[in-house]
Amino acid sequence: MAEVRKSMIKIKPKKFKIGDTVKVDFIVIHPMDTGMIKDKKNGKIKPAHYIDNITFSFDGKPFTTMKIWESISTNPYFSVMYKVTGKGKITVDYTDNQGEKNSKSKKVKPKD
Amino acid sequence: MERRKFIQGMVATSIIATITVPTTLLAEETQKAPAKKGPNDMSFDEAVKAITDGKGAKESDKIKLSVPEIAENGAVVPVKINVDHPMEEANYVKAIHILNKGNGNARCADVMLTPANDKGYFATRVKLSKTQEVVALVELSDGSFIQMAKSVKVTIGGCG
Repeated sequence: MAEVRKSMIKIKPKKFKIGDTVKVDFIVIHPMDTGMIKDKKNGKIKPAHYIDNITFSFDGKPFTTMKIWESISTNPYFSVMYKVTGKGKITVDYTDNQGEKNSKSKKVKPKD
Repeated sequence: MERRKFIQGMVATSIIATITVPTTLLAEETQKAPAKKGPNDMSFDEAVKAITDGKGAKESDKIKLSVPEIAENGAVVPVKINVDHPMEEANYVKAIHILNKGNGNARCADVMLTPANDKGYFATRVKLSKTQEVVALVELSDGSFIQMAKSVKVTIGGCG
């Protein structure tokens, strides 16, 4: 189960100062199976497998939490705004309904 | 003569094909919709009740909901929500919920925001099984709810 998923955090724009509001994009490679689709190889219905909880945090302080369901697309993409308060690290923790836990982080380096 | 007739025939059939094919596809889509049942199915009204605690929500122009008018592929429909509301300590956008009216499970995402976000903004991509309305339900920090709905035409459903 402990499969490491490919994920990515992007901060837009690339150059920003303290006090700027930036867009934080998070993309993860995940099947997001609804539990209704048949597997073409063996004809059995694939069990539901989707991300259910996501937490965006800055230096351990959560600023956005999400609860999502299977209606989100395969390889989901989430985008939120964040006001930069200083140097630190943005971390995204996510869990799915089959018990996988993963996290991804990115350093925040504002130019002064 | 032969050639002229042939070309005329071709033009006519192509026009008919372009007109009829999408409508028949749509008709099939709507007919077979309520057949499958997922594990956490929830109707739209139930979902609104669960979120707002029975209060209901008002329509509001404050929410800018950007969805495509026609989505060719229902498996990937981009949804962008911008809420024109201040993000201060005492007065901010507490949560953005994305709901749909036609999928088995009406709830897509619940996003809890804090003043640190600075803007009531959220974007993602959702799956839509058929032509339906997407609803953005926004909870403000004073406990009131506002909503905005937009319909999306889906030519190929995305829920299997």
